[in-house]
Amino acid sequence: MPEKVCTRCGTSWTVPKKLEAILDESRTDRPGQYDGLLSLCPSCRPQAFGERTIGAELQKVPRRWPTPRRRREERKPVKTDPRSGATVYKSQCYICNSGCDAIVFEKNGKVIKVEGDPSSPITKGTLCCKGLASREQLYHRDRILYPMKRIGQRGEGRWQRISWDEALDMTARRFKQIEEQYGPDSIVLATGTKRGTWADYVMRFANAWGKQWTSTGWAQCAIPRLSAGGMVLGGPAAECPDFSETSCILVWGANPPNNWPHQAVHMMDAWSRGVPMIVVDPELRETSSKADIWLQLRPGTDAALGLGFINVIISEGLYDKTFVEKWCTGFDELKARAAEYDLDKVERITWVPKAKIREAARLYATSKPACMMHSVGIEQNADTISSCLTTVMLPALTGNLDIPGGNLYPMFQGMRGRDDLSYTLKHLITPEREKRILGSSEYPLLSSSECVLYPTAHNSTLWAAMLEEKPYPVKGIYIHGTHLAVNVADTRQVTAALGSLEFIVVVDILMNPTAELADILLPAATWLERDEVACHIQASYNAIQIGQAVVRQGECRSNYAIMNDLAKRLGVERMFPPESDEPFFDFMLGNTGLTWKTLKEKGGHTFPDVFRKYEKNGFNTPSGKVELANSKMKRLEVDPLPVYREPSESPVSTPEVARDYPLIITTGGRLSMYRHSEGRNIGILRELMPHPLMSIHPATARGLDIRDGDEVVVETPRGRMEARANLTEGIHPGVVQLPSHWSGMSNVNLVMHNEHCAPLVGSTQLRCQLCRVMRKRGHQE
Amino acid sequence: MNPTGKKMVVVVDCCVGCHACEIACRQENNLTHETGSKWCRVITVKPRKAGDGLRADYLPTLCLHCDEPLCLQSCPAGAITKRADGLVLVDAERCDGCRLCVCACPYGAMSFNEVTQAAGKCNFCLERSESGIEPSCVQHCLGGALRYVGTEELDEITRGKHTAFFGRVCYVSSLWKLFSPSNNERRQK
Repeated sequence: MPEKVCTRCGTSWTVPKKLEAILDESRTDRPGQYDGLLSLCPSCRPQAFGERTIGAELQKVPRRWPTPRRRREERKPVKTDPRSGATVYKSQCYICNSGCDAIVFEKNGKVIKVEGDPSSPITKGTLCCKGLASREQLYHRDRILYPMKRIGQRGEGRWQRISWDEALDMTARRFKQIEEQYGPDSIVLATGTKRGTWADYVMRFANAWGKQWTSTGWAQCAIPRLSAGGMVLGGPAAECPDFSETSCILVWGANPPNNWPHQAVHMMDAWSRGVPMIVVDPELRETSSKADIWLQLRPGTDAALGLGFINVIISEGLYDKTFVEKWCTGFDELKARAAEYDLDKVERITWVPKAKIREAARLYATSKPACMMHSVGIEQNADTISSCLTTVMLPALTGNLDIPGGNLYPMFQGMRGRDDLSYTLKHLITPEREKRILGSSEYPLLSSSECVLYPTAHNSTLWAAMLEEKPYPVKGIYIHGTHLAVNVADTRQVTAALGSLEFIVVVDILMNPTAELADILLPAATWLERDEVACHIQASYNAIQIGQAVVRQGECRSNYAIMNDLAKRLGVERMFPPESDEPFFDFMLGNTGLTWKTLKEKGGHTFPDVFRKYEKNGFNTPSGKVELANSKMKRLEVDPLPVYREPSESPVSTPEVARDYPLIITTGGRLSMYRHSEGRNIGILRELMPHPLMSIHPATARGLDIRDGDEVVVETPRGRMEARANLTEGIHPGVVQLPSHWSGMSNVNLVMHNEHCAPLVGSTQLRCQLCRVMRKRGHQE
Repeated sequence: MNPTGKKMVVVVDCCVGCHACEIACRQENNLTHETGSKWCRVITVKPRKAGDGLRADYLPTLCLHCDEPLCLQSCPAGAITKRADGLVLVDAERCDGCRLCVCACPYGAMSFNEVTQAAGKCNFCLERSESGIEPSCVQHCLGGALRYVGTEELDEITRGKHTAFFGRVCYVSSLWKLFSPSNNERRQK
């Protein structure tokens, strides 16, 4: 039988004689139709077919597509699927924190399928690949299904199953002992991204217990944006772009198809209508590839680019004069500041050609309405408050606040949220306690009561305290749903800090390197196993959504039940009874006229749209106006205007470091198949991205003798990590995009420092450090 | 019979490379990791220079339901049929696992299932479409790139755009002069 070798990947396979005859005949019939494809192995053919179909002839015709006619169904909390006979529950996907509406098919006590919810105006019936793979997480072999205690050495992986009573009693007893021996501040709590309301409940637990807590990501995701929005706009309008009837889209440091799926649906529906899109991103990827104007900036220079935008908008008189005059304060101060950032200077700093900046700023400012979406990409540089101040000001200067097609203020009338003291118990943090929160003096917008939400201990300050026992010893930690051993900068410091602790409790869904450090492991419910009532701006700006427990694996419990039961044993008051989550849900809904029962019958609740709410109430700032030079920063006696600060490590600020480490790192670019550190153990998702890929420009790679797919080593003054090279023209030759959230030797946090954190909020400079790259030694081929 | 006679349209411009279609397909058709089987794949065409800038593209690939399917011609067991409405279907019961069709399909759309030991491929979610519901990839497509449409909507979408027709699938773009053998023949004439 003839042997064939794939002309693309080199795999050889045999073609049976009979088939050769058939193929020969078809080749004669349609010359050129199959030849190029049939000389490839079957697994290389889809790629080749796609490339052949697209071809290389660019010939633009107007981009205007009819809006997809998506199926709409009536919202029902429970129904029967006529095809499978399964019971279908309306729920809310929390495989990530986007909170997409989803439906769950249950049959004979098993989840057989998870789909998007066709009744949802939020998702329009879609769901992302992670959400669609939720069943794989539910039934995963690495699920933590029972409370367990460590029986071997820490990290050895030997566990003994125990009862919930034993686990919680032991936890309470050990925490009390530590508190007695080392003082009230010796125990901290930690949590990660918000997967429902329970992440905020961790903070209520912390406040009721009188402990501080730390959020893995807040300082470099969410708090800079929310702080800037709160101080300038009096609320998170910048987080809620309204794509529905916009006429220009500005996306800054965000890639919604990969990590904010329902926003991607609305964004792409608008884009398909022909709405022009401007994208700020150092790499050409999912969203930036759709841009009409792509601004490829040097990582970490967002504030300079933002000031460049403001400069154009003000100096060319493109701002909304009526709105600014009536509703903004501090305009003259901002004008003077922006004047310092002429486009020559901005081009020098950001590497973006000034003509492009001007074109983009003009397009955004002269389109009405226009909406702006910014995200985590601008929250990991040397001055994250500044970069976020510039972006939140854009909708204000252009009069796009709270109008259809602009940026909207969320409206959850009556629903208790993170700003409600009776929920958060923030008022229990006395001034004395506040002073003892780690980071409170250095990072007031993160770790003091000045925080826009509620204070959280600053990550690296906390690790240092654990290691040095200064200003006081920290000896116990309650980790609820976060992977500290991978997800924070300087993994060595973090793991050493955790290793120094006397007692670690981990609540999680799946076994992972953080859970392996635990003394007690507690099994948490996946979103398919728990009820939830949630409204938050990452999911929707005007809806209360519900999650419904459909099945239960092992002895997992809801997050509320775990905290409530532990609180009871610790003697912590003001928490809810552990037996049922319903009283808590009713409390949250207290002022809406809804109860958990009635909400569940409706399958959720949507508040009607109200625009220009500020006309009635003003803006929620001390002056009642948009504060372009905000009074809060003035009160804190810092510069209230955005400024560009060069990264603490860069070719400009540290040329001596750049000599040996010439490439600029950006990292944290999200992938669609994984959520942060999650998902790599799900087979069908892992197949989509089996290896950590580092994006590098072909010219740079050529100089380093690196070919596409080669294993590489990345070195910084801190350490080394490994990855594989993804050669792409879509990145600047002086920049590499390092894969993030992988564990082991591919963990990017082995090479990232957590020093020189951004002022006021303590963000880590993850998108602007330096490295060098080489082919992995001993790696052949 | 497929009561709708619909075609699958892939709006290349709108694909955001999110892979929702791929995982939706694997869930709907029970193509677990262990099966090693994929009926729908999203491919990335890496950034390259085009016009006055760089362009990157993403697009899903799936069975085209060819007019003259090589898989059908290659199958010694008679397990593959083409229906009057154009759908090419595999009868897994009759498949003897010889994998000739996997070799024969020029598009890599035929996939061998290591668990059932039978070949399989996209059938436009036949069971769903018979109940009047769109294929799962179409429902979950974030960018609105995949659309399962009748003639009228097909005309509406493709009007004034570049198209490439294959069997029951039509690729369409506002940017690229797409390639298909019939486009090619036309151009050569």
